[in-house]
Amino acid sequence: MRYRALFGMLLAGFMCSSHAADPIDALAITCNNCHGADGVSVGPSMPSIGGLPESYLKNIMMEWKSGARYSATMGRLIKGYSDEQIAALANYYAKKPWVPAAQKTDPKLVALGKKVTSRCAGCHGETGKSEDSETPNINGQWSQYLQLEALKYRDDAVTMPNRQMRNAAKKLSDEEVKAVAEFYASQK
Amino acid sequence: MSQFNRRDFLKALAVAAPASVLHIPNAKAASKARIVVVGGGFGGAAAAKYLKMLSPTLDVILVEKNKIYISCPLSNEVISGHGNLKDLEIGYDGLKKRGINVVFDEVTAIDPVKKSVALKGGKTLAYDAMVLSPGIDFNYAGVEGYSEALANGDLPHAYKAGPQTLVLKKQLEAMPDGGKFVITVPPGPFRCPPGPYERASQVAAYLKGHGKTKSKVVILDANDSFSKKGLFEQAWKTIYPGMIEWVPGASDGKVVKIDPKTKTAYTNFGEHKADVLNVIPPHGAGSIAKATGLTNEKGWCSVDMLTMESVVHKDIWVVGDSCVHGDLPVYGAPKSAHMAVTQAKVAAGAIIAKLNGQPAPVPYFVNTCYSIAAPDWGFSVVHIYKVDNGKLVYVQEAGGISPIDTPALAATRKLESEYAIGWLKNIMADAFA
Repeated sequence: MRYRALFGMLLAGFMCSSHAADPIDALAITCNNCHGADGVSVGPSMPSIGGLPESYLKNIMMEWKSGARYSATMGRLIKGYSDEQIAALANYYAKKPWVPAAQKTDPKLVALGKKVTSRCAGCHGETGKSEDSETPNINGQWSQYLQLEALKYRDDAVTMPNRQMRNAAKKLSDEEVKAVAEFYASQK
Repeated sequence: MSQFNRRDFLKALAVAAPASVLHIPNAKAASKARIVVVGGGFGGAAAAKYLKMLSPTLDVILVEKNKIYISCPLSNEVISGHGNLKDLEIGYDGLKKRGINVVFDEVTAIDPVKKSVALKGGKTLAYDAMVLSPGIDFNYAGVEGYSEALANGDLPHAYKAGPQTLVLKKQLEAMPDGGKFVITVPPGPFRCPPGPYERASQVAAYLKGHGKTKSKVVILDANDSFSKKGLFEQAWKTIYPGMIEWVPGASDGKVVKIDPKTKTAYTNFGEHKADVLNVIPPHGAGSIAKATGLTNEKGWCSVDMLTMESVVHKDIWVVGDSCVHGDLPVYGAPKSAHMAVTQAKVAAGAIIAKLNGQPAPVPYFVNTCYSIAAPDWGFSVVHIYKVDNGKLVYVQEAGGISPIDTPALAATRKLESEYAIGWLKNIMADAFA
């Protein structure tokens, strides 16, 4: 453990300056492979995770681990880590800044999305910026990723824990799903 | 080639890192050490980047032959026309901006005793530590009748992405309906374990998409099983019924000889005449590793599993496809870009620790490898390793392949086909940007 802490110090030196050494950094850099440096993804199908609420991140990883929440890939990864490591990863990424992805969106769909999202705003806010610890930021999240998430909620064969989100997603037409994703993706 | 550029370096620092680095008391002299990284693929690029990120005062030199790197992951999709070779290309400007000295040259010799590297251009570089990431070289003599000249001509292996990929694509496009596309698979280990089978799937995707469903893809395999076998076979049965035939080694699948003129592949007892013959020759570690005496009797570089340092020569860390990492055949780390990048990060941490007189940090190794069998039909295998009693072990309760039978089949295959593409963008940035 002592040496992990030392490695953490090395990493902490460039990542977060004055913070105390955090041994989780050595594990967290393996997440960069798919989620980008500091959790800022550059691949439209992969979500940015830096700056998401700690509680949301921890819950979602624990639900993948237990199987309560469906995942295509993450469950097989996260089962390899202890609850303590998961909690530390959630804390690590929650401290990073949320960086909306630079992406092109379709103005027509964004306009339609703005109308449709009136029913999403109760939980996700008007712009998708998280207002509570259980809800992820989706302002500036990748449009393609948001559409792929909606696909999970709209498919009864997929186990997703949030009934409210499932009901809301199922009420949308295919075009409206795209529009909602484009709208939130366009928000900063 | 750009020398260390202070302005760019400060700019990069301002973006990535607001502070100075080494908090360890005796680190000052070590922090100026020179690290030579040989090979600018995923492993070498990531090693150079993470060394410089973790310790910006290090003198990091990356030696690479080519100015543009072309990703092998997702290059099978170029053959089928579902991907574009241009999207797989990346240069070294991102690394240069970080203050890494990128030298476009070829290493002709490594002296592990004097700790120096000779370059074709005439220079000699001394090093305090080296990362060797030469990738694989092909053993053309492993298939009688095949040669490097044929590979660069009419019989591309296309197992390093580039011009050969496009030649193979053209040959596929020219193949008439009813034609036979033969892929020969060498004995393992080889890079990208699911690669030949993903290629067969992509070839079938092209044929099906162009109404050439009387055509056949035949895989002549020296091995008796393969990566993600159940997942591939499910995809073939569902999407390409009757189009793909796999001949295992036990059923005389091992190709020993070819006739390039008639495009015939010979096994021990049989012969297969092809319309397109795609020979993947046997692999070994890059020839510079062998010339430096770093390879074992099987032609691969043995490394300390927790640090990636060579077990033959100290102060040389070997990462990527050329090393053998993990002792159990089933759980040995696969030769993938994802693995190379995680190995590079571990090596970077271990090198900095050693330079500072510290024991190596606890390593984290993980592999995620996606394959695309058809549009909207992707799947993956995951490997997680942890250190247990000083040994690297495969974590049995995690990892494994995507589910074969699942009620959420369509969603799962669709999601992973899209994740494959997002994964590549992120891992290219992680290594090169």
